Amino acid sequence: MFIKDTIAISPQNTYNNDIFSSTIKQLYGNKFLAIEPEYTGIIKPNQLRRMGRSLRMGIGCALPLLRNYCNVDGIIIGSSEGGLEDCIKFLNQIKDYEEGMLTPTNFVQSTPNALAGQLALLTSNNSYNTTHVHKGLAFENALIDAKILLLENKVKRLLVGGVEEISNYNFNIEKSAGQFKDKECSSSQLIYSNTKGTVCGEGSTMFILESLTGNNNIKINDIQTITFPTEEELHNTAINILKRNNLKIDHIDILIFGMNGDIRSDYFYYRMMEQLFVNQSVLMYKNLVGEYPTSSAFALYLAYNILLKQYVPKDIIFRQEAKLKYNNILIYNHYKGIQHSFILVTKENC
Amino acid sequence: MDREQLKLDIKVQIIKYLNLLDYNPEDIKDDMPLFGDKGLELDSIDSLELIVMLEREYNIKINNPADGRKILKDINNMADYIIEVNYKNK
Repeated sequence: MFIKDTIAISPQNTYNNDIFSSTIKQLYGNKFLAIEPEYTGIIKPNQLRRMGRSLRMGIGCALPLLRNYCNVDGIIIGSSEGGLEDCIKFLNQIKDYEEGMLTPTNFVQSTPNALAGQLALLTSNNSYNTTHVHKGLAFENALIDAKILLLENKVKRLLVGGVEEISNYNFNIEKSAGQFKDKECSSSQLIYSNTKGTVCGEGSTMFILESLTGNNNIKINDIQTITFPTEEELHNTAINILKRNNLKIDHIDILIFGMNGDIRSDYFYYRMMEQLFVNQSVLMYKNLVGEYPTSSAFALYLAYNILLKQYVPKDIIFRQEAKLKYNNILIYNHYKGIQHSFILVTKENC
Repeated sequence: MDREQLKLDIKVQIIKYLNLLDYNPEDIKDDMPLFGDKGLELDSIDSLELIVMLEREYNIKINNPADGRKILKDINNMADYIIEVNYKNK
């Protein structure tokens, strides 16, 4: 399946600016908040006032794509948590008001599938509509769903995306559980911090995927997920994904790895680049957007833009190997060291 | 709370409950229609929010939907209803 277009809202200036031609924003803290655009002209004020961050960001990215590319045959969203802030508000209300009368808006907007549903309503799209909620593999499963539909020739064009928001309530719970760093951290030091925990991120990334090649020939060749793997199983999975796409390790030009600065789980990446992929450039992306379950959607956004522009911003380079041309990118990410995924992206030569 | 104070309080609560970020209490006129094409242009989900607001903030339950249509017509009607119910309950 081919990537036709993409839009991202992230802690970087990705919505109105091109981070490949402007400077990367340096962030500091233990939450990397997304830079939300002005939604006037995209979302009606009457609808906007009810929406939480994930809905706003999701619709803000998806609606311009749906307006530009008519006749979308399906909307597939990956979101681990959905409108988490609204969800926790609603749960708190149940307790605070002793299971009495509850406001409907928080409930309606809090479910993970609220975004896909709202997009269908806003664009009068009554085709395939699904939301995947498999925590750290939610976006990957949305991609697999899209790939199956496109391979079966059931559809020609799909909107696929991932969205996640930071909720203060959930941040505090996860921080207590050790997921985030005790001390605030700068984006330039995150990956090299050598301490436990990471920083919390958020964002929305949407793609238009098509079965036929477009102008740019950038193809998602393969997606593979694996849960609770041993290191051997993980390395075999990486080799197998290359084998079944007739590629050797040396054919991979760039690796985009999901290092997040947590010494407890970053070793998966370091061992893979030391033992398996020793001659490839390695890029990092969580220093730009923080850690969240569907962050691999942002990695795919980077892969698409690198292959399209044949350029790598210096702030995301972890290890550099000289290459004249970039054709194959392998994205490897894991969530909490449990859910691992590979996405192989290729620029097909005409 | 006198009638004018009550109307101001209702406007503040409406802005809070419905997240009407572009409005100040003085922007909402006492006789401005809350629903329909003119006025605040609220919709059916907002009406549910207002019913919850009346119960939580003023301890008033609207059980009959037909009553709701009249009570939630504008700020004047909401204030009159709250005063009437409070008077009956005294």
